[in-house]
Amino acid sequence: MKRAEIISQLNEIFEDIIDEGSVSLSETSTSNDVDGWDSLAHIQLIVAIEKTFNIKFSSDEILSWNNVGEMIDCILKK
Amino acid sequence: MEFQLNEMFKHQFTVTLDIYNHFQMCSNDRNPLHTDEEFARAKGFPEKVMYGNILNAFVSYFIGECLPTKNVIIHSQEIAFKNHVFMNEKLDFEAHVSGVFEAVNAIEFKYKFIKPDGKIAAKGLIQIGLLK
Repeated sequence: MKRAEIISQLNEIFEDIIDEGSVSLSETSTSNDVDGWDSLAHIQLIVAIEKTFNIKFSSDEILSWNNVGEMIDCILKK
Repeated sequence: MEFQLNEMFKHQFTVTLDIYNHFQMCSNDRNPLHTDEEFARAKGFPEKVMYGNILNAFVSYFIGECLPTKNVIIHSQEIAFKNHVFMNEKLDFEAHVSGVFEAVNAIEFKYKFIKPDGKIAAKGLIQIGLLK
């Protein structure tokens, strides 16, 4: 799967979970850039991403991400 | 993790007069479908229809009181109503662990309420967090 496809799917997941209208993620996006990306939304996002891509993250992996690009790196390694 | 994928939990609930009265007081919903026998019969029901959201309260009880740990918090709860429930019907509640998300200490349950005739009264999905 290409990075562009992943980010497109992530946009859909974020829009569904965060429910604050259109989301346009980039590789450098962080929680500070997305309205509604709070701690509870973060848990629900991780659950939705794991289910969508049929993968499992570790807590260490999640804590290591500094932006959406690093999240995508992690998804691609699965 | 205290929960295993596909682990099943069961409980039985009944919408008693006491529960009905308390829910009515709490919600202040006096819609005649729930309060007027004649109105309900005129709409094709055999008697007053119980408030569907009483089942949401039963889900709250299940999460808060029936699990093997009290260290829980509800993140989200979805319900779809399939068949009407009437006073004093015994509902078999079944929930199974449909997802374990260790990285974020979250568990998902799929659940259903089954009426005495075997029909589904409601079903849905609950996501909870496990408190540390």
